[in-house]
Amino acid sequence: MNLSPHRLSRTDWTHIAFLALPTLLFVTFYVYPVISSIHLSLHDWNGFAPKMRFVGLQNYQVLIGQPRFLHAALNNIIWVAFMLIVPTGLGLLLAAILDRGIRGEQVFRIIFFLPFTIPAVAVGAIWRWMYEPDNGLITTVLKLLGLGSFAQNWLGDPNVVNLSLMGSVAWWTTGFAFLVFFAGLRNIPTECIEAARIEGATPWQVFWKVSFPLLWPSTIIVLGMSAIDAMRLFDVVWAMTKGGPAYSSEVLAVQMYDLAFGRFDMGRAAAVAVYLFIIAGVIIMPYIIYMSRRVQDSEAD
Amino acid sequence: MKKSNMLAAFGLALLGATSVQAQDNLEVWHYYAAGSELAGMNALIDAANTSVDDANFTGVVIPGNVVELRRQLQTAFLGGRPPAAYQSSMAYELKTFADGGQLHPLTDAWAAIDGDAIFPEGVQRVVKVDGVPYGIPFDLSLINNVFYNKEAFQKAGVAVPTDWDSFTAACDALRDAGYQPLGNAGGTFWSLYNFYAALVSVVGEDGYYQIARGELGFDSPEFAEALDLYRDRMVSCYAQNWSGKTWTQTADDLINGNTGMFMMGIWAAGYMDTAGFKAGEGFDMFQAPGTVGKSIFQMDVLAVPEGPSVAAADEFIKAITTTDGQAAFATLKGSLAPNINVDPAVYGYAGATFSRQFSEASANNAVLPNLFFLLPTDLGTEFGVQIERFAIDPSDTVKAELISTLEGLRQEALAESAFIAW
Repeated sequence: MNLSPHRLSRTDWTHIAFLALPTLLFVTFYVYPVISSIHLSLHDWNGFAPKMRFVGLQNYQVLIGQPRFLHAALNNIIWVAFMLIVPTGLGLLLAAILDRGIRGEQVFRIIFFLPFTIPAVAVGAIWRWMYEPDNGLITTVLKLLGLGSFAQNWLGDPNVVNLSLMGSVAWWTTGFAFLVFFAGLRNIPTECIEAARIEGATPWQVFWKVSFPLLWPSTIIVLGMSAIDAMRLFDVVWAMTKGGPAYSSEVLAVQMYDLAFGRFDMGRAAAVAVYLFIIAGVIIMPYIIYMSRRVQDSEAD
Repeated sequence: MKKSNMLAAFGLALLGATSVQAQDNLEVWHYYAAGSELAGMNALIDAANTSVDDANFTGVVIPGNVVELRRQLQTAFLGGRPPAAYQSSMAYELKTFADGGQLHPLTDAWAAIDGDAIFPEGVQRVVKVDGVPYGIPFDLSLINNVFYNKEAFQKAGVAVPTDWDSFTAACDALRDAGYQPLGNAGGTFWSLYNFYAALVSVVGEDGYYQIARGELGFDSPEFAEALDLYRDRMVSCYAQNWSGKTWTQTADDLINGNTGMFMMGIWAAGYMDTAGFKAGEGFDMFQAPGTVGKSIFQMDVLAVPEGPSVAAADEFIKAITTTDGQAAFATLKGSLAPNINVDPAVYGYAGATFSRQFSEASANNAVLPNLFFLLPTDLGTEFGVQIERFAIDPSDTVKAELISTLEGLRQEALAESAFIAW
């Protein structure tokens, strides 16, 4: 595009016109809130007072010295690891099983994907009931199977609550990974698979040497979305434990919400948001760059 | 007229009509979304619509709790379109909004309803900021009652406890008879409400208010003694796995006869009654040890934001503070009407008992508002979190960390002059 104002063609103006709206939307709903949050994080404000008090970097300094904040940040990192491994792995496993053309494939497809269509608050309500420690479904089934000694205080024990939450999130989100992987598997050219089989490859080798490498685009989508979901995790945790008991299941987004609306501390909540933004960038951006290169390499091959 | 112009004109007319409708429709925001709570709120609003000429008050449910309502309110305030009135917590919550210049002082409406005469003194002090009323009480619940399963008490041979020793004996007897002695539930509030009994036992009413004013430290020997009392007498009684349950799940345990006792706000009586477990038959209640003759209460009020609807909101307030309006809400929701002129005969067995307790406490000037809302918001919330943590792990290490954390926040609040002499 020629950007000299004297030489803009009609086509250039058309391009600019088409770009104007998305740019405006991006600036209004993304750039401005980010800048506004950074500005807010430098102030002490309860959300209602007419004036904000400038405190510089105090909110950041206080947070970094708080065990509560560090614990929530660590929880987020653990969630990233979990989301990258468990729902993704399970989704890939289910997709690989179903891709073998088993009977009732369509029914299983619906069953596997159905949980992902349920709103997070409903997922929280369902699992809150399932995790009732004495009479809930999980405990009852374990007792029926003679495994009552494995029953836990699922949402009330600080040492167990995060694992319980992860169980419910795995149930909820595996369907997404499954769907993307399944579509990816179905899009792999059959001649590649056939060629490998003719060469004498075992089903295991066909999957790991042929299908899985060709699934990179799907893998990038699933892993990328999973990492982002883990960093912005809020709704299920809020619906099931509100970050408790005693902050043990708290993640940064929950802490941000509690500080902003539970404690009227908008400035510190904004500082949490900025920290979350930075941590997410540090963790996720290298991955996205790396994966993007892998896709380009894969396409080049 | 061209077709496009006609469409534009129609759109503008529709927009104008919507705008007018929005102004006529006076919204009352609350978070009572279902069951007896919603029924009570609807009855309250209906009472106002009936008694105020040309009124069109509409209840709008904000799903969640007070935190979600605050979030919605902030957006509304920023947008300049707050509701005509909204459900608010008492004390520090009102102060925060009033200091922010968002609330309409209810001085005229208060005078019109003679608020100083119809509300008990303990209630009045938590709806006024610097002597100016900013909230109108409509939903009062006592939080110092222990509910018990009558059949469990009978089978275990337990008499109704009257002090800490008989309470401990009841726990032991219930446990020996195969019951979980005392139910509790996970969350910021419930362990804290239980702890108040131990706190009041040690520091009394004066000490309770001293803590609210920031005058008595969390590192004081009295507070440490209260923690020890709570640990030895209540935490040791708690049911297995209590921290993983909601309060309704624990109420179900009491109903099903798994748990002998449950200390909870009086809304639990309404819940159990709705489930067919009747007060006086299936369950009964007593005031927690250390609080006999006293009433610790939690209360919601209606606050009025500054804006074009304040005149209508004043009329709304006059209507909902009548004995009929207050009784309409309380009897359906299962709470107490803050207006002392409401006839106790409107209540059932449980409500009448609570009403009698509250009257006695009022007469003795022993009405204590929920400390959570008397403290600066950050300190009150942390108080609840730390007490729950201590209830889960009542070790000396956690006790020391609790004291250190709360005392640190108290010092911060003192430095900022954040405490209020309620």
